Amino acid sequence: MDRPDQVAADLSQAARERIAAIVARYPTRQSALMPSLWVVQDELGWVPPAAVAYLVETLGVTLARVHELLTFYTMFRTEPPARHVLQVCRNISCHIMGARAVIAHLEKRLGIRLGEKTPDGLFALEGVECLGACGQGPVLQLGKHYYENLTPKKADALLEGLRKGAPPRADTDRELEVGS
Amino acid sequence: MAKLTIDDQVIEVPNGTRLFDACRLARGEDLPHFCYHPDLSVAGVCRLCQVEIEGLPKLTIACNTTVRDGMVVRTRSPRVQQAVKQVLEMHLINHPVDCPICDQAGECGLQDQYMDYGLYESEVAKSDKVLKRKAKIIGPHVILDQERCVLCSRCVRFCEEVTGTGELGIYNRGDRAEIDVAPGVELANNYSLNTVDICPVGALTSRDFRFQKRVWLLRSTPGICPGCATGCNVRLDHAGGRIYRLKPRRNDEVNGPWMCDGGRMTYKDVHADERLIQPLHRREGGLAELPWQQARELFYGLVKPGSVAFAVTDPRQSLEELVLFQRLAGRLVGEAQLAGGVAGEGDAPGDSLLLADDRRPNRRALAWLGLLELPPAALAAALAAARGVLLVYGGDPLAHPDIAAAARRLRIVYLGTHRGATAAAAELVVPLCAWAEKDALWVNRQGRVQRGQRAVAPPGLAREDWRVLVDILAHLGDDPGAADLPALRRVVAQRLQLADADALNLLPATGLVPEVPTVPLQSDAPETAANGGS
Amino acid sequence: MSAAACNILSARFGRADGHRLDVYEAEGGYRALRQVLGGMKPAEVVELVKGAGLRGRGGAGFPTGAKWSFVPSAAEDVYFFVNADESEPGTFKDRYLLDYDPHQTIEGAIISAYAVRAKLAFIYIRGEFGWLVDRVERAVTEAYSAGYLGRDILGSGYSLEMIVHKGAGAYICGEETGLINSVTGLKGQPSIKPPFPAVSGFLGRPTIVNNVETVAAVPWIVTHGAQAYRSYGTEKSPGTKLWSVSGPVRNPGVFEIPLGMPFADFFHGQLGGMQDGEEFKACIVGGSSVPVLTAAEIMACTLDYESLQEAGTMLGSGGMIIVPQRADMVELIKVLMHFYWDESCGQCTPCREGTGWLHRIASRLLKGEAVPADLELLEKVCNGMMGLTICPLADAAVMPMRSFLQRFRDEFAARIHETAAPEPVTRWARGE
Repeated sequence: MDRPDQVAADLSQAARERIAAIVARYPTRQSALMPSLWVVQDELGWVPPAAVAYLVETLGVTLARVHELLTFYTMFRTEPPARHVLQVCRNISCHIMGARAVIAHLEKRLGIRLGEKTPDGLFALEGVECLGACGQGPVLQLGKHYYENLTPKKADALLEGLRKGAPPRADTDRELEVGS
Repeated sequence: MAKLTIDDQVIEVPNGTRLFDACRLARGEDLPHFCYHPDLSVAGVCRLCQVEIEGLPKLTIACNTTVRDGMVVRTRSPRVQQAVKQVLEMHLINHPVDCPICDQAGECGLQDQYMDYGLYESEVAKSDKVLKRKAKIIGPHVILDQERCVLCSRCVRFCEEVTGTGELGIYNRGDRAEIDVAPGVELANNYSLNTVDICPVGALTSRDFRFQKRVWLLRSTPGICPGCATGCNVRLDHAGGRIYRLKPRRNDEVNGPWMCDGGRMTYKDVHADERLIQPLHRREGGLAELPWQQARELFYGLVKPGSVAFAVTDPRQSLEELVLFQRLAGRLVGEAQLAGGVAGEGDAPGDSLLLADDRRPNRRALAWLGLLELPPAALAAALAAARGVLLVYGGDPLAHPDIAAAARRLRIVYLGTHRGATAAAAELVVPLCAWAEKDALWVNRQGRVQRGQRAVAPPGLAREDWRVLVDILAHLGDDPGAADLPALRRVVAQRLQLADADALNLLPATGLVPEVPTVPLQSDAPETAANGGS
Repeated sequence: MSAAACNILSARFGRADGHRLDVYEAEGGYRALRQVLGGMKPAEVVELVKGAGLRGRGGAGFPTGAKWSFVPSAAEDVYFFVNADESEPGTFKDRYLLDYDPHQTIEGAIISAYAVRAKLAFIYIRGEFGWLVDRVERAVTEAYSAGYLGRDILGSGYSLEMIVHKGAGAYICGEETGLINSVTGLKGQPSIKPPFPAVSGFLGRPTIVNNVETVAAVPWIVTHGAQAYRSYGTEKSPGTKLWSVSGPVRNPGVFEIPLGMPFADFFHGQLGGMQDGEEFKACIVGGSSVPVLTAAEIMACTLDYESLQEAGTMLGSGGMIIVPQRADMVELIKVLMHFYWDESCGQCTPCREGTGWLHRIASRLLKGEAVPADLELLEKVCNGMMGLTICPLADAAVMPMRSFLQRFRDEFAARIHETAAPEPVTRWARGE
């Protein structure tokens, strides 16, 4: 396992400061664990063992505790992810509205099954539970946003756009007017 | 006090009593359970201890309920029995049918509770069961089978709450949940085997005991661990004259329900190859075996008033043995030529839980009897100036090179259990009993007298210490009146000036902490554990 | 009751600018907060909300004012949590509230925290709502800048810190003690009760957890009064409810209607009935964890807690899933059982093992590999789960399972492989 000060070099100064700010804000060091894991993952894309060691030391939690969280919550990654992780809802409403066809289409296009990664590391396809977009299903999550009302055609447009580096705007990515 | 009715029986218990404990009182046996343990926090996850409480629509778990005055509880109603049976089925639904190869068989919570409450035909195909990791070594003493685990979380809570080391966690969700050490971590704290004790099934088992013996073939004898001055109460499990394992025995005044791993392994010494099994006499440069009668004659030829230059004993000998030896040494040497042992020996860092710095089981008895341990240098100096016989009872003082060198010109008579440096240098060796082979009293660091019983017979021709010592005393013209153990303990009580002559024969279950007037010490003696120093 | 101006919660839904503080203030936002801090005692706020009859909108329907009053009066160090973990299948209303009108929830949270004398409030947002976490954090920052949060709010002497906490993918964190444990830095596993959170919750202190929709109603109740709130809905189910509607209706989405509206009116009115070519088969009315009703059954109900309970189901989260005739009920139950198996926290045995078994048997049914004994085994597993666990997730899996079996048994029976010999039970019989 890497030494904590080694990984501090992997985490940017800004990230380490964010973690320190979280520790200052939250009532206990242990309660700062989840948001600190997000800081790590937002920066590195996953939570490497060295980062775990860093958090163990900084927050005074046990290694067992950190790993409990990493294995309990589905969103924390313990391996580097593919470039674009497409998480498609396969719960009941999306299922009724045609999620299976969209999934089958994506599988065919990408040449992988649900739960797999393309050999070039560009795409991963994951089946997830209800995303809270049931009236706009089928839906997939990509990063922080949702692509909703999916059809095979829309799925194609998304893949095409991602390959080009210019994906279509996500449905949740509405123009935000800056507040007063 | 709260008065409540459990299964139509009215009982009265202090306010704040846990309903689980009140049920045990009323029923005479525990409610079915896995996760509840009196020395750990309440988890409430196994869902087996459900009871019916009048006025509440749902069944309630008793481990997380406090008694209330007027509560009416049913623990054996059809509804409760049905629920227990159903929950038990859920416990077994993924459980591997490993009984034929599982060490826990015979002392398994699942087996026992199935026999008590289940007794149904399983409808679950084995091929459907969730597969997990089996026979994973997770530490020097513990091996894990994740399939057998019922996820009661006792082991996790133990490592968090008792040792504070947190090596174990429960990972993943749902039926993928599994207990394991954190990656790269070993369950290596000095109390790891307690997790095996508290694991209700065969998920955590002892590597040392693995496949050694079926538990129903074992007999149990209460004893006192000789590993250190804490004197944890133990249970020796043995069969056919061989000890297979030690388990802690609850004594809330001393060790609670726990003991340390180091202490658990002290049984191995009893069966070591180095055990002395026959009297030995030095001839033609080597030690030859000889019958007891001859050994006895040689002994009395060597050991008589005027011939003994120095006598040494050891804090690994029992209270009765030290009393007798001090008495007989008094007939042979002066006080200045008698040592209780080698000072500082066996001291190693203890911990904040149970393990004492003092790694001897009976040092306090030396203090009670005014027997001083001498530092190696002082003992060596005394021996170098001495001529004649060095009488050694127990311990292995010649393991110290200085002492061995100083004793080169003395004729050594060794009464002991193991072939060590002292036995190897002796002219005459008398084989005696190890701690598990004697019914004896031990005084721990609290000044508590505790009794260990005889679990197995000594090997070969080795004899009981106290009988040999009484024999020697008789030969020296002294009859202490110790015809049997009770009489011997009355002698000891008198020697310690205890108010009640029979105090040591009527020990309470948790031991006895008597008022003992300590013999005043020589003023120039350094403070050691033996004379009341820390 | 007035169906017309039903925008207690949804006034700014669908707008591009409703999330802005200036817009919110211009439309009356933070007036309620000024009113409360300007002269109401915490206990008065509690009485007001009690009087309005507001009930928890997350799923349990527990009277909110009553819950608040469980906090011991001499309590120090009280914590307030807004539960935005919305993960109940079929439910997406809290998302709308936070997306279109975050300040409404924030204002409601400050008032609610004040009512229970909390010093620190968390808004726990499920991790998948990544864009929402950012939006709500921005809104909280705006609220701080405007002086609605922090020390000595509006000169009232009341101080409140607010933290937006991001979840990481666990439905069970929507259970209040699971949520509390998650924020503590543990796995989001529910705690055994007692102790109850209002007495001993986060860090052993009195804690109140309220759903977003519940909290969002508070400002309106303050400015309009309890009686005005009661003018909507029914006597036992006062106020309005946000219904999340999914399935092949003409107009899926989130709708705010008064409680007590007949389902038929809602279905044909706001929802526009089924899409062309679709027929109405069944309805799961309150999120997947409630019993399913046939189309005929739900058509006879009014949309309130009492009517739905009488019909054998529950209002729950108001996640209304419209099931069309073309849907295979065995397929749907397999999807749902997969969900509960995936999301069971694994702590207590009946749920941990039972959800796995329900999913396994449902999968067998779907594949046509089930035998008659499997239907009995399903019932046995359900019995070993219901009512015997730490939290209601086990019940949540059992209720759809049982109700689907009850109402659509023929579809299940058709999947039973009659000719398959049941697999021998013991290894020896199988010749292993």
